[in-house]
Amino acid sequence: MKTIVVEQLKYRYPLTQTLALNELSFEVEEGEFIGIVGKNLAGKSTLCQALIGLVPHFYHGGYGGRVIVDGLEVGKSQVDEISKKVGIVFQNPFTQVTGSKLTVYEEIAFGLENLGVPRAEMIDRIDHALDLLQMLPFKDRAPFDLSGGQMQRMAIASIIAMRPKIIVLDEPTSQLDPQGSEEVFRAIQSLSREGMTVIMAEHKMEKVAQYADRVLLLHEGRLIDFDRPEKVFSRDDLDQYGIAAPVYTEVCKALDAKIAGEPYYPATLDEACKALVMRRE
Amino acid sequence: MSANQSIWSFRFSVAAIVLIPVAVGINYIGKLFAGALKLPLWLDAIGTVLSSMLAGPIIGALSGLINNIIYGLTVDPISFIYALTSVFMGLVAGYMAFKGWISSWGKAVVVGLAVGITAVVISTPLNVWFWGGQTGNFWGDALFTYVMSQTGSTWLASFLDELVVDLPDKVITVLAAYGIYRILPQSLTMLYKNNNKTESI
Amino acid sequence: MSLYVNRHSLVHSVDPITKLYYIGAAIVVPFIAPSFHAAWVCLLLSVSLLLIARVFHRAMPILGFVAFVLATVIVIQSLFHPGNATAWFHIGSIGVYQEGFWYALGICFRATNIVCAFSILVLTTKPSDLVEALVRKGLSPRIGYVLSSVFQIIPQMVATMGTITDAQRSRGMETEGNLLVRIRAFFPLLGPVVLSSLLNTKERALALQVRGFNATGEKTFLHEQQTYQYSAVLQWGLIGVVIIVVIWRILS
Repeated sequence: MKTIVVEQLKYRYPLTQTLALNELSFEVEEGEFIGIVGKNLAGKSTLCQALIGLVPHFYHGGYGGRVIVDGLEVGKSQVDEISKKVGIVFQNPFTQVTGSKLTVYEEIAFGLENLGVPRAEMIDRIDHALDLLQMLPFKDRAPFDLSGGQMQRMAIASIIAMRPKIIVLDEPTSQLDPQGSEEVFRAIQSLSREGMTVIMAEHKMEKVAQYADRVLLLHEGRLIDFDRPEKVFSRDDLDQYGIAAPVYTEVCKALDAKIAGEPYYPATLDEACKALVMRRE
Repeated sequence: MSANQSIWSFRFSVAAIVLIPVAVGINYIGKLFAGALKLPLWLDAIGTVLSSMLAGPIIGALSGLINNIIYGLTVDPISFIYALTSVFMGLVAGYMAFKGWISSWGKAVVVGLAVGITAVVISTPLNVWFWGGQTGNFWGDALFTYVMSQTGSTWLASFLDELVVDLPDKVITVLAAYGIYRILPQSLTMLYKNNNKTESI
Repeated sequence: MSLYVNRHSLVHSVDPITKLYYIGAAIVVPFIAPSFHAAWVCLLLSVSLLLIARVFHRAMPILGFVAFVLATVIVIQSLFHPGNATAWFHIGSIGVYQEGFWYALGICFRATNIVCAFSILVLTTKPSDLVEALVRKGLSPRIGYVLSSVFQIIPQMVATMGTITDAQRSRGMETEGNLLVRIRAFFPLLGPVVLSSLLNTKERALALQVRGFNATGEKTFLHEQQTYQYSAVLQWGLIGVVIIVVIWRILS
């Protein structure tokens, strides 16, 4: 089933002339894990925010085309309505803390209180979200006392508790140290295993290749490619779009080790090992 | 007319709401720095005035009100009494800003004088009611004593007491806020206004 | 950051809303009552409540500042109050007058009483409880958000300020010296904190919006509503007292 349908999406920020998103069209199946890649200002963040209606409702500006998430047309709906279907996690864990709550537990409750979720159900949902993100030991801590990785997991838990079908992550680890990043990636993986549709903009290509079912390559607001990671990362013109393939792809390319029976180079460690072993034999 | 309606509207953007706690924080930090540098000024309303310039008189007034409530709850309960002064400073600064009075340093000085006189006019009755006319500032109260002993008028003495204390402070406060306002990118400042529309392309 | 003192006492267990009623009454009653005695009776009551709550010593620093200003009020009014007529005694050529003294004493009682009434609220109520009680009473949840977020945002900004002050000092900025030097230091110190805080408002606004901040339906609460005893009795009692004082004023 198609859970996201984007048709001819165009967007221009206020006071600017160039299109940040230019005639984008694509569809996402329920339960898929999609990686969005591209260099800075390619439109990754804008696209992420268009999926939940912050583009155009927060910024305004010029908007054209349609985005439909789980049957709801984003351009014609309130962000509060859309946020029951789509959740978004931003780059900076610090600015996502509401600042009005004294504990992690209360912080996660914030969105549920606003949406009017009954108290008993609220507690169930928070407990489940804390468990899923392995945040139970921190539930009584003050939100600002957490490490970056913990704070970002709290941000994800806050969104998960709202029970969206789709979660959008906009470079969720770009401001974290390696350990914090690893914690967050593991958490995202567990969401995907639970059957959620995950959309993640990311510049660590190894991670994209490892998790994503399909990769969406953006350049200057246009969709360049939308396909399996090994196909996108095997393109010869990647550097033209300001991105580098995963290191495994580069190595296999240099050694000319392709995936068995396919014209593409491996994008993950596993695939690369297999291809290299096969090539030796 | 429509622009006029939108500056008095109570329907704020989320960015404008989030601006209020930051405005209160800027007030607090301004006061802290002024104290640490031993400046002979309070400079404790820069955030209120800045929020007025960015988001209009209502947000400015709310910033002022909440500033004094929070300050009253955390530092000094007397600040509750002067919440009214902060509210009017926010209203005047916001109204003048949206009428185009923050397009140059010269005009900003006029806004500063207007905000200062507003503060004096609102605070004087509060001083008379609460303290019998004094302000608790040494030089101001010395003037108060002199004027009262010469003229016998509590109101005149209190007005002048407040004037010498407040007017220079508020002019510099408004200029500081304007100095910050000028350098903010437009992509940020437009988020605080509530008159934006999405157009179809 | 808060002046709240966590204790168990009769006063602590009173509804925050009732404490707001008390502040209202403490401001209004001594002001409209046609008797000088109302002022000190109210003050005595407020001080007693602070003592019952066992927070009186925490009110001392606040009262200390007030007392200092009020001492100058007594001196100045005793000497220069416009209604001064009956001199008690003279120091050289300057007379010390009864009218001014009693007028100043009234001001002292009223001012101290108001400060004590606010102190009762501030010292015995957790800010988050006050905000939640107000939101349940119908205060806009968005204003409730603003009130409670200030308590956390200010310490964050103060921390940023510390970092910036250190950085500017290590670059050789002078923060001591004559007035001009110190004024010149003010803006490079304030500017970066203000800019980074303002830039953060955009992202925080986005993050709030996707967590139902603008939702218009009925809001729910994680915490169960705290029940306070005798709230209605106390609140109506305070309203009753104000009405009686108003009638007393009209009749006298």
